[in-house]
Amino acid sequence: MKLFLSISALCALLVVVLLTTGVPTNAHHASAPFYDDQKSVEAIGVVKEFVFRNPHAFLYIDAENSQGEIISWEVEMGAAVSMVRRGWTPETIKAGDQIRVVGPPSRAPGTFGICCAELTRPDGSPITLPGQRP
Amino acid sequence: MGQTDNRQAWKPIFFQAIITGLLLLLAQGNPVPVGAQSDAGSNIPDLVGVWDGGGRVRPVNGPNMPWTPDNFPVLNERALAYQGVFDEALAPKYDCVPSSSPALQYDPYFMEVVQWPDRVMFRYEKDDQLRTVWLDDRTPTPQDHTIQGFSVGHYQEGALVVETTHFLFDVTGFDDYNGIPSSQLKKVTERYWREGEELRMTLTLEDPMFLREPASYTTRWLPGPEGYKLQGYACDPVQARRAVKFMIPKYR
Repeated sequence: MKLFLSISALCALLVVVLLTTGVPTNAHHASAPFYDDQKSVEAIGVVKEFVFRNPHAFLYIDAENSQGEIISWEVEMGAAVSMVRRGWTPETIKAGDQIRVVGPPSRAPGTFGICCAELTRPDGSPITLPGQRP
Repeated sequence: MGQTDNRQAWKPIFFQAIITGLLLLLAQGNPVPVGAQSDAGSNIPDLVGVWDGGGRVRPVNGPNMPWTPDNFPVLNERALAYQGVFDEALAPKYDCVPSSSPALQYDPYFMEVVQWPDRVMFRYEKDDQLRTVWLDDRTPTPQDHTIQGFSVGHYQEGALVVETTHFLFDVTGFDDYNGIPSSQLKKVTERYWREGEELRMTLTLEDPMFLREPASYTTRWLPGPEGYKLQGYACDPVQARRAVKFMIPKYR
């Protein structure tokens, strides 16, 4: 029984880890020419739109920077066909949701892109996929 | 007593009928259902099904995969010149143009294989691509130049061997990652076989316009989830090009 509980706890931990780990971009293009994986940025804000398409889903959020300015971030995600197999739907994230995004920033000056991001709620709690318990 | 006599009388007729039936079956030969080879000795491998080529099955593609330092081809001067001036921003994939062989086979998505007597069809979830491999000895015409080329195949020693020619020039036609083109002279040979539940393939690429010698990689697929049907891809060209602005431009 004790062993069963330990295994259950391990499984629960794995689920949380998977949910808080972002969706990498892959298979369509390399991330290195677009994003600097030696850096990391954090954006906490409001979802404006979640575009769930191929070859990449995109998440658009407005987040306040340290100077109090609103920055519109474009978060590149995986291919919708691959995300569906992991439980994502177009409704997993909705306009108006509060969200926290952490990942490598885009390289071109004056652009606000993030790739391969870790997505959570602002308090760090995971985004729950349909059919999975928080 | 009368019943016993009747059974004795029918015995020779009964056995004759069985023997005749067996002879008829033998005379018809032993037709091999297409794609039903798990039997030892059959020449036709069972390739039918939905196959997973994603990250759980093999390393995901990129600038060093599946072409690693060990199997990366030797480029000729023409290829090196093209690679030197190549600008990632003009890669056709950012306008939803599908990748071609030999990159298509290594994209980390699902594919479905259907075997018919005169053809084998490969349908790729990525970019909704369909390749038909003709088994009926037909030959290509000049009108058969396409992005995926013209494929013919045959079964050999438990494997499907596919030869594809008649490709169009593709500015990223080597691997979709390293800025190396492929020409109308590109020839791709694939050999598919089963190893237990795995589908395996060795691909050999020739393109004398850009490569000094042939190059090969071997990869595998695992069966997709039970009942899984390929999804439509419906590449969105706006989404496909959206990230290009995040690169520092090579040319201004």
